[in-house]
Amino acid sequence: MDILEKLQILGAAAKYDVSCASSGSKRETNYGIGSTFTAGICHSWTDDGRCISLLKVLFTNECLFDCAYCINRKSNDIKRATFTPYEVAELTMNFYKRNYIEGLFLSSAIKNSPDWTMEMLYKTVYLLRYKYQFNGYIHVKAIPYASLDLIRRTGFLADRMSVNIELPSEKSLKLLCPNKTKESILKPMEFITKVGEEERNFVSAGQSTQMIIGATDDSDRKIITLSQHLYKKFKLKRVYYSAYTPVNDDPRILKVEKPPLLREHRLYQADWLIRVYNFTADELFEKDENLDLEVDPKVMWALRHLDKFPVEVNKASYEELIRVPGIGIKSARRIIKNRVFHSLDFDDLKKIGVVLKRAKYFITCNGKTYERHLIDTVPEKVKLQLIEKKAAEQKVKQLSFFDSEVFTSVITGEI
Amino acid sequence: MYTVFLYDGTFDGLLTCIDKILSTHVNEDEVVIAEKDRYQPMFFDSPVYVALDKNRSQELRQKVISASDKITFKKIYYCFLSEAQNKETYIYKYIKLILKHGKKVKYLYHNDVVNFVEKASKNVSREIGKYMGLMRFSEIKNGVLYAQFEPTNDILVPISYFFRERLKNFKWVIHDKKRSKLSIYDTKMIKFLNDINLNASFSDDENLYQKLWKLYFKTMAIEERKNLKLQRQNMPKKYWKYLTEKN
Ligand code: SF4
Repeated sequence: MDILEKLQILGAAAKYDVSCASSGSKRETNYGIGSTFTAGICHSWTDDGRCISLLKVLFTNECLFDCAYCINRKSNDIKRATFTPYEVAELTMNFYKRNYIEGLFLSSAIKNSPDWTMEMLYKTVYLLRYKYQFNGYIHVKAIPYASLDLIRRTGFLADRMSVNIELPSEKSLKLLCPNKTKESILKPMEFITKVGEEERNFVSAGQSTQMIIGATDDSDRKIITLSQHLYKKFKLKRVYYSAYTPVNDDPRILKVEKPPLLREHRLYQADWLIRVYNFTADELFEKDENLDLEVDPKVMWALRHLDKFPVEVNKASYEELIRVPGIGIKSARRIIKNRVFHSLDFDDLKKIGVVLKRAKYFITCNGKTYERHLIDTVPEKVKLQLIEKKAAEQKVKQLSFFDSEVFTSVITGEI
Repeated sequence: MYTVFLYDGTFDGLLTCIDKILSTHVNEDEVVIAEKDRYQPMFFDSPVYVALDKNRSQELRQKVISASDKITFKKIYYCFLSEAQNKETYIYKYIKLILKHGKKVKYLYHNDVVNFVEKASKNVSREIGKYMGLMRFSEIKNGVLYAQFEPTNDILVPISYFFRERLKNFKWVIHDKKRSKLSIYDTKMIKFLNDINLNASFSDDENLYQKLWKLYFKTMAIEERKNLKLQRQNMPKKYWKYLTEKN
């Protein structure tokens, strides 16, 4: 099989993987070719508008396992291919030096044995770092059941490693992944965290994971509570959520007509709130098991706590400001910097980039509310105003998930 | 009545010129600065040409940096690289503001001059950011990597320093076709050249990797989520001419 055909098969097999950001590496090197860039760089945008920054491929799609939701599972009759470490390294180098990509995202199905697979991934990364002196970004999957020693050696060569947690509960995992156990996922995850804390230059861009959304009946509360736990206990850098796209006809999987993109989007927003804004899962799910699809979770929270509003922009603390819908980290910082020089009115807020569309219901400037917006109206009324013009449902239909505004916020989860 | 000052078109030339103006007593509102070769004399003008003086430009550079900081100075430089009309005059006024207010100038967002410089420099840094990702190199016969582009702003210098870090061990050439300028890197240092025409043919591997990249680019698109509008928003058509995957 020639390299063109392999790339086609093993690229296609990896394209739904969402966790491919390339930022944040702190690996220290002073030799060789390439560099990682703290902010991450996009090198192209596909026809669906998604950014390409890494060469994202599977090493092989021949799998021993039989996970119900996976296109590569053993029981599927599909075209199979396997790279050699040398082929992946050559592709990476040649794409990199033409400035097509920032680095490599290498994942894999499990062929022969978990150790065989992990060893191939290790060899690939080893070749890149030592034979080709490649200094760019590398993200490698840790394979469940692979020996910790192999994972350890790979981790010293990679910028980021990830073990996919796949499903938010043990029950779901048992149901859909008969070959994987909770252990087989959490053990390597814990190991990577531990070594990362002890050693410099070990997965210096940190660890991430990915979870499938909508294939099982797990609630948003369960998902976000799990993420909170992963951030705390395993110090993960990111949890990625992937709306399930039905690829197999399997009775164990919930019937999904279309991938629940809006739900995925709301989960990213909630994730952002617990990761960056110091919200807790309990705060976001005081009443319901699931997030409100009509408004973002920060608005949802604010509407339940109208007693905490309005917030006076010229006096509020940073913590109070970032809880205002429409005021993000950046705007809050700018407000604090700027109000030192003079007190801010609504016009000033616009000038420094605060989006008043949502914020105007929740703030005062020098005691004044925006035009005649009453802050203390009934939550339901405010909510009606805040539901974006295009109904939420329509959003899903048109997949405007990938519209730029929504899409950027999907990547960062920022609200 | 305006007093017109001309400079040689280089950044140091402009700084020299501004330093000279600062030491003379002209009314700020009557100062116009323009590039010597681009300047169209008006009827009543008697333009003054200020020749480049490295010591003088260096001195002003230090003065501006110590009154503000390196980031603010970089804004001035980026503004200079932009194609904005009358940028020189605005830079002059901006420097005057810095010498008066220090780095607090960035909070004077009501001020036209500050606004102008912020906007122009942002425009330039955005374009540099785009080209960090969208520059495409091809391997030519002797193993040298060659990239061509037609940037809106004159960003060859900063972009070359970026690729010096990125492609340290490779020899490369970046060609600004619009301005007929080149930067050449020989794995040790970069040289900048003007008015050069280049003819090069691809190495044996080049066609294969272009083919692989195009295939990969197509493979990665998720058909059900097709959104060409969004693609164009992120990657405007002006960049397509030299993008392998779009040709
Ligand atoms: S182990 Fe991975 S590749 Fe194999 S079937 Fe399960 S999810 Fe798919």
